[in-house]
Amino acid sequence: MSQSTQADERFENLRQELRRGSLPLAVLAALRTEHYGYTLRKTLADQGMAIDEGTLYPLLRRLETQGLLVSQWREEDKRNKRFYRLSPDGKSILKQLLTEWKSIHASLEDIFHDI
Amino acid sequence: MQLVDRYLQAVKFWLPRSEKNDIIAELAEDLRSQIEDRESEVGRKLSDADVEAILKRCGPPMAVAGRYLPQRYLIGPALFPIYRVVIRSLVFYFLLPWLLLWTGISIFSPDFRADHPGAALFASLEPWWLACTYSLFLNTLVFALLDRSGLRAHMVDDWNPRSLPAIRDPNHISRAGTVIELTVAVATLTLWVQLDAYRRMFHALGVTITLSSRWPYFFWALVLLSLAGIGLAGFNLLNPRWTRFSASLRLGVDVYTWGLVFWIFRANLLQSLNASSLSSSEAIEAVRSLNIWLANSALWVVAIGVVVLAFDVRRILRVPPTK
Repeated sequence: MSQSTQADERFENLRQELRRGSLPLAVLAALRTEHYGYTLRKTLADQGMAIDEGTLYPLLRRLETQGLLVSQWREEDKRNKRFYRLSPDGKSILKQLLTEWKSIHASLEDIFHDI
Repeated sequence: MQLVDRYLQAVKFWLPRSEKNDIIAELAEDLRSQIEDRESEVGRKLSDADVEAILKRCGPPMAVAGRYLPQRYLIGPALFPIYRVVIRSLVFYFLLPWLLLWTGISIFSPDFRADHPGAALFASLEPWWLACTYSLFLNTLVFALLDRSGLRAHMVDDWNPRSLPAIRDPNHISRAGTVIELTVAVATLTLWVQLDAYRRMFHALGVTITLSSRWPYFFWALVLLSLAGIGLAGFNLLNPRWTRFSASLRLGVDVYTWGLVFWIFRANLLQSLNASSLSSSEAIEAVRSLNIWLANSALWVVAIGVVVLAFDVRRILRVPPTK
């Protein structure tokens, strides 16, 4: 394996790790509006947070199990789709997470100021 | 769509029964939406190759299903480091030496090859395979059970910084160890001289043992070894840290020790045996068998000696050079 490939792989691993941490926040924020899985994926991708189906659906199930989302199977365009939206608990957690995120962002900005 | 259905069926196989249908319905809807979007983009129905590309990007069925399952492990991260140390010790200090010894015996011992000709030579490895299987299986089982029992909390979670081991200095020579070494060397030398071991004939319990004419060389070699041991232990007592010099001395003494033991095993030192209960032919056979057994066991000496010397060399390499 060449050095540049190794460096690319290292970068890709760290990039994914960095994004993985922020995915629940992005999903919760996007689900202030009701979506089914595929349109949620497209919405996130359009806003620069592409997420594959193998990551999104298990994450949605986990968030639902934790009571942060509610879901409902409904027919749309003659097809059954599962629609998700934020639960009241989810709204409150989202608020707290956003505060935390802003604080992390501010701290990182401070750390990065001379880079 | 047959490819999609086959893909979904493969994912479904690995999913928990209670959630299978729900997960598959949702995944199917996503894949169909992807296909429809792609068809609108290219303005035609997708070929099997196009669908295959979408499914490949989606990931292998087992991996996709795995993401829906809770993270589970046989031995958790708290106990895994101990498990790893135990397995490594088992492999490096038991299974690997056994295999090396077997290889050595197979290569160098004509008697062993004669007893196990052809494929039977490999069949003689059966105990080794069994030992591998049982030891690895039992260790894994014990750790998996420990991980699920309350003992784990006692072993790993209930800890106190004060009960951690003292800082280990690998270059420190334990005074107690040196004193034991010194005592053993002095005791051996005293016993050796007091027993008058220089002579070649010994009488005990009605048995007379006569050793070969090479025995006196061994007598002096052991005296020299004891004196070297006393010298090294004395030096270590005064300088209780390994230096390149003392570590090299230790290597020298160990090379000499294991060379001497190997020589003893291979030298056919037993010349004759006389006992009232043994006929002369029985005594000759007993002497022959004993010498052969010792000669064959010399490979064990080599195996142990190599391990000891490897540690000695490692110690020399570890010690920082004196400035």
